[in-house]
Amino acid sequence: MISHDHASELLGAYALDAVDDDELTELEEHLVSCPRCRAELDGLREAAGALGNTVEPPPEGLWPRIAERLGEDSGEEGELPPMPELTVGTPPERSPFRAPSPGRTRRTRSNTLLLGSVAVAASAVAIVLGIGLVRSQHDVTNLQRSVAHERAVARSTPAEIALHTPGHRMVNLVDSAQVEQARFVIVPGGRGYLVSSSLPALQSGQTYQLWGIVGTTPISLGLLGGSPHGSTFTIAGAPSIAKLALTAEPSGGTVAPTGPIVASGTV
Amino acid sequence: MRHIDEVSDARLVTSIARYSEVALAEVYRRHGRSVYGLARRVLQDAAEAEDITQEVFLRLWREPERFDPERGTLRSFLLAQAHGRSVDVIRSSSSRRAREVREAARTARAEYDMEHEAWDLALADQVASAMGELSADERRAIELAYFEGRTYREVAQVLDQPEGTVKSRIRSGMRRLRDALAEAGVRGVEA
Repeated sequence: MISHDHASELLGAYALDAVDDDELTELEEHLVSCPRCRAELDGLREAAGALGNTVEPPPEGLWPRIAERLGEDSGEEGELPPMPELTVGTPPERSPFRAPSPGRTRRTRSNTLLLGSVAVAASAVAIVLGIGLVRSQHDVTNLQRSVAHERAVARSTPAEIALHTPGHRMVNLVDSAQVEQARFVIVPGGRGYLVSSSLPALQSGQTYQLWGIVGTTPISLGLLGGSPHGSTFTIAGAPSIAKLALTAEPSGGTVAPTGPIVASGTV
Repeated sequence: MRHIDEVSDARLVTSIARYSEVALAEVYRRHGRSVYGLARRVLQDAAEAEDITQEVFLRLWREPERFDPERGTLRSFLLAQAHGRSVDVIRSSSSRRAREVREAARTARAEYDMEHEAWDLALADQVASAMGELSADERRAIELAYFEGRTYREVAQVLDQPEGTVKSRIRSGMRRLRDALAEAGVRGVEA
């Protein structure tokens, strides 16, 4: 670990990206634990920003090219396709205090990757964990958190939002071997969403049908298709549903279950 | 309803988090010229500067939460990224040849001439007068590091001066620059 004085001496060069790799790691370690150096760095970086403020109009066609790529992926991967001519080998590990340039901040990027992949896994934890990760970094402001939250919500499916709704209930449907086959979330008001499913795909001409069991009577709650994902149903108006159950039925569904229960779970 | 050009940078970033392309376009309109200008100047190559500019704005689109308005302005955040990435390109071994070419181009332009650079008009006077506060040695060391993407040790070699001296000059010069800009009331710069 380098001393505070040594680190402080390097800050000017650091703000200009002018510290060699061998000193970089130790300096960045120091920055993690030294708010004084971090504050000074922010000021020096602003000065560098002013210095670098020569302007030159970019070519006309550049913005359309950027705009074209916005839809490429919604950022869930957090990765830009590498530009071959710019590849520089493996960059050293950089801290979040480093001028955050692509390819430099692998630590930060991996956090984002985690945030992305969890969100894809359709878990409420994604939102909570994502914000938790960001929050764990130093100097994260409310606005930054709200930006992270906006992005997480914008990426969320209805099921994820439901998982974030206060008072929601989880229903795990297990098969006869007690293996979880599907997981639903039901929000106050009776709307329900399929969160995840490991149900095997059915043959064509068949569909999964969801039943709410009231007493001993199954009431159809809807068809989920042959390989369910993202399904929505409602139990509003059927308040005394004690269980959810799934059966495989002919396409179009049936009034009462004809097949054996594939999976079931208590509400 | 406010017109978009009255919206603060921080609000624009919040809108970008909601996937507002209009907000990103506005950020590009405000800062695209600076980002491209800096990358172009450091890299001395228009095509590479375009790549970097594209990369910087796509990254803002994908990871807007990385901008922290309490740590600095959006412009400096974007410029820091453009600079860091440009420096990565310059230092890559594969572009050693390219670097020689760049240096030849620089030599042809001789000394930096702040007077003849195209500056963001809003900042021009303040930056010019702040740079005037620096000693010639400080200014030269900072320019070599920042605009040529050299480490302070490389700067020491170029100038044939001890590394410690160059490191101190860069630090004192940057602090002086920061203080002068803060005094001139440049937004985001505080002593």
